Parts: sequence; C-alpha cells; structure tokens
Amino acid sequence: MDKILLEETLPSVFKNKTQSSDSEIWLKDISFIRGRAYLVEAASGMGKSSLCSYIYGIRNDFEGKIFFDNENIGKLRNSEWNHIRKRSLSMMFQGLSLFDELTGFENVELKNRLTHFKSKQEISEWFYMLGIEDKLDQKVSLMSFGQRQRVALIRSLCQPFDFLILDEPISHLDNENGRIFTSIMTEEVKRQNAGLIITSIGKHPEMHYDQILKL
Amino acid sequence: MKLLWKLLRAHISVTQFAGFFITNLIGLTIVLAGIQFKEDLKPFFAQGDSFLKDDYIVVSKKVSALGSLVGSTGGFSDKEIQNIEEQPFVKTTGKFEAARFRISGGLKMPGTNLSFQTYMFFEAVPDRFLDIKVDEWKFNENTGEIPIIIPRSYLNLYNFGFAASRSMPKLSEGMIKMLRLDIFINGNGQRAEYKGKVVGFSNRLNTILVPASFLTWANSEYGAKENEEPVRIIMEVTNSSDEKLASYLSSKGYETEGNMLNSGKLAYFMRIIIFMVLGVGVLICLLSFFILILSIYLLLQKNSDKLKNLMLIGYSGFRVSFFYILFAVSLNLIATALSVSLVAWLRKLYIAIFSEMLPDINFSGISIILLYAFILFIIISLTDLFIILGKVKGIRNNK
Repeated sequence: MDKILLEETLPSVFKNKTQSSDSEIWLKDISFIRGRAYLVEAASGMGKSSLCSYIYGIRNDFEGKIFFDNENIGKLRNSEWNHIRKRSLSMMFQGLSLFDELTGFENVELKNRLTHFKSKQEISEWFYMLGIEDKLDQKVSLMSFGQRQRVALIRSLCQPFDFLILDEPISHLDNENGRIFTSIMTEEVKRQNAGLIITSIGKHPEMHYDQILKL
Repeated sequence: MKLLWKLLRAHISVTQFAGFFITNLIGLTIVLAGIQFKEDLKPFFAQGDSFLKDDYIVVSKKVSALGSLVGSTGGFSDKEIQNIEEQPFVKTTGKFEAARFRISGGLKMPGTNLSFQTYMFFEAVPDRFLDIKVDEWKFNENTGEIPIIIPRSYLNLYNFGFAASRSMPKLSEGMIKMLRLDIFINGNGQRAEYKGKVVGFSNRLNTILVPASFLTWANSEYGAKENEEPVRIIMEVTNSSDEKLASYLSSKGYETEGNMLNSGKLAYFMRIIIFMVLGVGVLICLLSFFILILSIYLLLQKNSDKLKNLMLIGYSGFRVSFFYILFAVSLNLIATALSVSLVAWLRKLYIAIFSEMLPDINFSGISIILLYAFILFIIISLTDLFIILGKVKGIRNNK
C-alpha cells in the first residue's frame, strides 16, 4: 500500500456543522504517501480518533470515500482487513486497547505471534530502552497510563506495515521518554520505509514532519 | 494459542456449562435409549414369533351345553366365514383343518426298551399364518418325516409345571428338536408309520401343526368322513386392539383364544410409550441446546471487548472463535460418548431379561445408536459452529 486517499471525507455527525469548513482534512481530498510523516493537529472533539478509526476500518459512519491505493475501503471484506492489519497498517489507539489481565510482554507477544516479526530479544530491548524492563512480567492493569503507552507502542511496531498511525501517542510521557519513544519509532518507520500519521492535541513527538495538517 | 486461551477463558461459568452438560447427557441418553429400545423390540414387533405383533386372531364358537347335547359341530359355515371376511378390519382368514384319522405318537428311549405312546391329533393352517419360519415345512416322502410345530406353551407347561414339581430335568427347545417321534396313523382301513420331527414352537397357534399339504393328502388317504366345517378360524386383522373388532366378535358369540386382543393393545401402548419417551428426550435435548447457546452468548458478550480488541490487532474471527467452538464441541463429544456408554450399559441389563424370554432372537447390537449419536453430534456441533461464528461476527461489526 503506497497511498491513503481521503475523498471529501466527513464524520456523519458533522454534516450540519459549519466548523469543519476550516479543516484541512474534512471535505478535502487528502493523500497520505508512504515514506512521509504527517502530523494531524486539532483541538479535542474535532474527530481525530474518528479519522484513525475510519482509516483503520473500525467505523464507517462517515461521508465521502477513503481509498487504499485505488481500493475503496468500504468494499473490503473482514478477511482482507485481517490481512491489512497484520501486514500493511499498524495502529496505536488512543485508548491503547491493551489486555489488562496479560503482562506487558504477553500483550506484545499476542501481536507478535500473529506476525512472527520480532524476536523476544528485540522486544525485551525496547522494554529496556523505554525504561519499563521491570514491567515485562507485570500485568498491564497495574501500570500507569504512560507505561501502558510505551507497551502499546512496542506492540504496534511488532508487525510489517506500510503506514503507522499513532493516536496521541505521548500524551502521558515525560520529555526524556518522549524522546526515546520518538527515536525508536522513527527508526522502525525508516527501516520499513513506511508512512507515519500522528495525531495530537498539543504534545507530539519532536521530529521532522513532511506535512502538518489542521483537522 | 496459550495466550489466547488465557484471555478468552475468562467468564466461563462452570455452573452454566455443567448445567448444559448434564441436561445434554440426560436428553441424549433418553433419546438414544429410546431408539435402541425400539430397535431391540423390533423382533418382537416385526418377526412372526412375536407376542407383541398379534394382528392374528384365532376365533372359535362358544362351546355350550345345549350345543353339545344336540350334537352341533360348532363349526363355521362358508357363509359365516364369508361374513367375517367382509368386515373392514379383517385382512384374510384361514381355516384350521383337522386330521380325520386316528394318530398316535411314540417315543423310544435310546439304548433301552422303554417307550411311551400317546394318542395325538394334527391340525393345519395355511402356511402364511405360521408365526415362525421353518426351512423345510414340507412332508418328506423319501424319509417319511413329518415336520411338526407344537405350541411353546406345551413345553413351558412341562418345564415350569411338571418338571419343576417332579424335580425332573428341564428340556430345551434344541433338545426337543433333536428327538424323532414314531407316528402311527390309522384310518380308512389303512395303517401307516411315519417319523415326526419337531421343527418349531409357536406362540400364536395353540395346536399341533403339520404342513397343510400333508394333512390334505393324508385326509384324503386315511380320512374317514367327508370335509367337516372348520371349528377354528385364524384371521389377520388390521389392528387387534380395534374396538369394532371386539364388539363384532362378541355380537357373533365368537371367542378368541388366549389374550390375543390384549397383546394387541399392549403392542399399541408400547409404541405410544416409546414415542412419548423419545419425545421427552428430544425436548430435553433441545432445552440443553438452548442452555448451551445462551451460555455461549453470555460468555461471548462478557468477553466482547477482548474479542473486539483481538480482531483489531489482526486476529481473524475464526481464530478467536476457535476456543469457544472447541470448548462447545468437546463438551458435546464427551456428553455424547458418555450417553452412548450409559445406553450400552442399560441395554445390557434389559437384554439379559429379553434373552431369557426369547432365547432364539439375535439382537442387532448398538450400531444403530452409534450412527444416531454420530449424526446428532455432527448436527449439534455444526450448529454450535455457525452460532458462535455468527455471534463473533456480530461483535466485530458492533451489532
């Protein structure tokens, strides 16, 4: 997948509101190109997480169309989505969607078993770099939100992807951890030559963006 | 896979699934036992030698004091037989033909000079009314051997009445069949000697039977008098428990032999009871199935967030359903296997009783319930599969 194209997309609930006219994404034709980095900034309530959900195929309550290359995603079947979520598109959810009853490592391993993408050693190393090596065997329910964000990032990197979407990824990290987070993430994105889409309401990874869009 | 199971087994309620398991076990056992029992009773219903399938009735006229005095034969005239045949509940009738000559039978004890001799009588009915299958139901002119069928009640009378009270040995049917009787026939100024061989025991016909072809010939050869009216008639009826049949017989003053009408009713009730039992079993099975489905729905609903998350990170609907399917199918398999063994065990108990009653019958085995159990297992498992997959798909699509 080399391109994600949004064609006059708009959340259905915004249909009768005027505020979306200022948006650089809603009701416009926007392309996200593989290999480039995008930052989507917005105040809360403007539909950041909705945008991520539309692209990731979780929700379809929107007007307009979204294409992966030339394929309308509204026509994809469940089995095709399974494949895309394993091979082409990785997402770090704002709510993280981790499993509370599993340990940090098990959460990552659950994804990695599906893709067989990283070795246990590589995963442990990331835990170490992000300062949560002591959380490998601790249940997620006992972690702070910032620690969970780091586990969720590692999970999202354990698969091949053409695009990586991060929904407010470092909202609960201190500057030092945010910096380490950014370097691990950009290194992996570069290695895979993937596109990067990050949303933010203020705090975002400090790095070079090819385009900054206001939602 | 271990990780998935760790996640998905949460909220599995032991009580709910134990409830399903037990009701399923009971339901299946009743259904399979009913089917097996019906199968094992088949010989009683279907075979000729049957006390349950008595759609054959032997009728005679009442013997009255007056009749005896005026010398009435008590036989059925052609007109009366025709009248019987015209009744809607009568399929066919057959006359009892009696020997019109004197017969005596003797038995020599091998190796001794001891011998018994007794007067006898022969009767015959058309072959289609015989309740047992005999390979050679034909008089053999070369060996002079006459095949004979005697009522099973004669043997029982001896074994359980006479022999028991005199502490004499009991005789099995096989032993009786090995004996050869000396048959002496006197009549029409002639005398002849034959061999008699007991080839079978009848429950239906309470007389000493020889082949009709032999008796017709022997009557013409040795018979003293011309044809007499038959005193007994055997008839095949559509349903021996029919009310109309009973009222017809009593209005004509005919008597039936033994309790043939009652056994017809017995057979009828037996069938109804088996169907009722099967019905109850099926009902319980259905209920247990609903318990299973409800439990699985509840379980999937409680775990719906996890299922959704798993599908979000790329797990397929089938993969996350797999454990639940495996779980339901395993429970089902264990319940099925257990109920088959239960039925097999129950069957052992009643077969022991049946075999004592009817030693000649070969019971068919439990292959029939293995087949039914397999079919039920496949149907239930497939339904489980589709219901679980459907529900998981619903969760994925937020329905």
